[in-house]
Amino acid sequence: MKTTDGTPPLIRVRGVRRTYQQGLVEVHALRGVDLDISQGEFSALAGPSGSGKTTLLNMIGCLDQPSAGTVHIGDDDVTHLGRAEGAEYRLRHVGFIFQAYNLIPVLTAWENAEFVLLLQGIGELERRKILDPLFERVGLSDYKKRKPHEMSGGQQQRVAIVRALASRPQIVLADEPTANLDSATSASLLDLMLELNQEHGVTFVFSTHDAMVMERARRIVRLDSGEIVADEQGAALGVA
Amino acid sequence: MLKLAWRNLWRNRTRTLIIGSAVAFSYALMLISMGINDDSHRKMEQAAERAAGGAVLIHAAGYWESQASDMVIEAPEAVMDDARTVAGVRALVPRVAINGLVSSPRGNEPIRLTGMVPALEFLVDDLSQKLVDGQFLGDTHEAPIVLSQSMVEKLKLELGDKVVLTASTPDGEVTRALFHLDGVISSGIAGEANFLAYTTLEAAQKAVEMQGKLSQIGVLVGEVSEQERVAAALRKVFEARGGLEVLTWQQAIPEMKGLIEFDDAFGYIYLIVIFIIVLLAIANTFLMAVMERVREYGLLNAIGLSPARIGKLVIWESVLLALIAMVIGFAMGFSVHLIIDHVGINAADMGAGDMEMAGVSLADMIIRSELRPLKWLIGSCCVFAVVMVSALYPAWRATRLSPAQAMRFYE
Repeated sequence: MKTTDGTPPLIRVRGVRRTYQQGLVEVHALRGVDLDISQGEFSALAGPSGSGKTTLLNMIGCLDQPSAGTVHIGDDDVTHLGRAEGAEYRLRHVGFIFQAYNLIPVLTAWENAEFVLLLQGIGELERRKILDPLFERVGLSDYKKRKPHEMSGGQQQRVAIVRALASRPQIVLADEPTANLDSATSASLLDLMLELNQEHGVTFVFSTHDAMVMERARRIVRLDSGEIVADEQGAALGVA
Repeated sequence: MLKLAWRNLWRNRTRTLIIGSAVAFSYALMLISMGINDDSHRKMEQAAERAAGGAVLIHAAGYWESQASDMVIEAPEAVMDDARTVAGVRALVPRVAINGLVSSPRGNEPIRLTGMVPALEFLVDDLSQKLVDGQFLGDTHEAPIVLSQSMVEKLKLELGDKVVLTASTPDGEVTRALFHLDGVISSGIAGEANFLAYTTLEAAQKAVEMQGKLSQIGVLVGEVSEQERVAAALRKVFEARGGLEVLTWQQAIPEMKGLIEFDDAFGYIYLIVIFIIVLLAIANTFLMAVMERVREYGLLNAIGLSPARIGKLVIWESVLLALIAMVIGFAMGFSVHLIIDHVGINAADMGAGDMEMAGVSLADMIIRSELRPLKWLIGSCCVFAVVMVSALYPAWRATRLSPAQAMRFYE
């Protein structure tokens, strides 16, 4: 299967179901989702709470495993990666930005961003070459030595962006990254991510119900009750 | 990883200080109690060796059990010559032991009289230190006798007074011998060892017609650790001769050996109980620390830290905590060890004033602290292992967290 622009999809989700047992009740978080996302997309998974958007994001990021169906990233079948394999896969291919608790509180901004590079075994000089421009790009060159509690929410999210991009991933998954931010900070952060998407060609996938995210997304996949109910591509959104 | 573990350790200083203090105090307590135990056991062993009359004892076969006067060592010079051929024998102390009755015009009292060569006997126990009056077997009298202070008081004797010993000869004949009170000794313990009395070897042999015979030969060895080997070698040397028994002091006074072993076992049980309490306390606190950071472990896993590395992170925290606490604990324990070793603890002040076991007095024992490096090293490894074991379950729990659930832990 090809995407709308004719290139093979980077992310390929097929027939994914996720069922949880919550006490005696069986909860169907995803009910057979099919989704293709191309390299370089800036997409949003939108929907109300409980629609399954975060669950789907977790499947793509190998944080969770589907009850049925398959998930491929590029040529890799990541459907049933174990905890260790999943961690290794994310380290090399996926960057994460969460809505809160994004940073390790005892590490400085620099150390937080540097952490994934250390895990990858990258030397100090190389780490500096990667991180310095990113810190400069997100406007935090003077904040490298600050700990998370010494920074605002927006600044912390910027550090999370640096960390997510530092390992040069194929995909950045952002789970409601603006949920705890004010409008101005959210707008600035989203513009930054959009620019980085264009500069680095990294695929961004958001889980959100924030209108500001959806305004900037090139594609909005709407979910409800664990199913995709709409898939609005670029032209339909009125963006190029 | 190490940096992260170090900083995590100090996130909750109060908690870290509480766990660290528990480990440090337990470790210090262990070192102190090991130091005191080892020193007191060594002193108990020395006291037992003194009470027995040597590290190894040579008797006529069956003598130690029966204390019978007819069980004597014949041709003792030849026996001692044979004994001197055994490597590790430092000195041989010949004795004649007589169980009898001592009489004065004021009364009669049972005694155990030891005939000895003072210069040799003092290698085992310098009895002259206990002299409170007179001299210890000087040459004023042909047949001098040293009695305990309470015996002297009971018999209402003055220095130089005559006493008569009534005892059996090896042939079973009852004999009497005259002695002059030469000295008075005191053990400092009421009722303890009052029946012990001392004379010269020649006077004792003459009194019970044992010229050319001995009751016992005490053997002193170069090193405490050598006594079993020396005893075995002596048994082999005397095998052909026959009629002799060779006992280590542990065989001669098994009660004291039992007491030391019991005390040792009790000490270990005490330490094990402390360690179990510390282990549970640390495990509980570490588990709380892990549960507080569920979301953070989820984040670490999400950005690529494998479960095994997350477990290692928790273990690293406990390693750092154990090392810091043990350095402090060692400083505390070693300082107290030095103080106790310098000042000493009087066993009598600790309630051992009247303590006696199988004829071994603990009255004048000053307990200090002894450092046995290997034992301290093993103890330290045990403490470290306890801290590590206590961190295993929390570490395992940290590795089992599902990242998706962990990230939603507080939502």
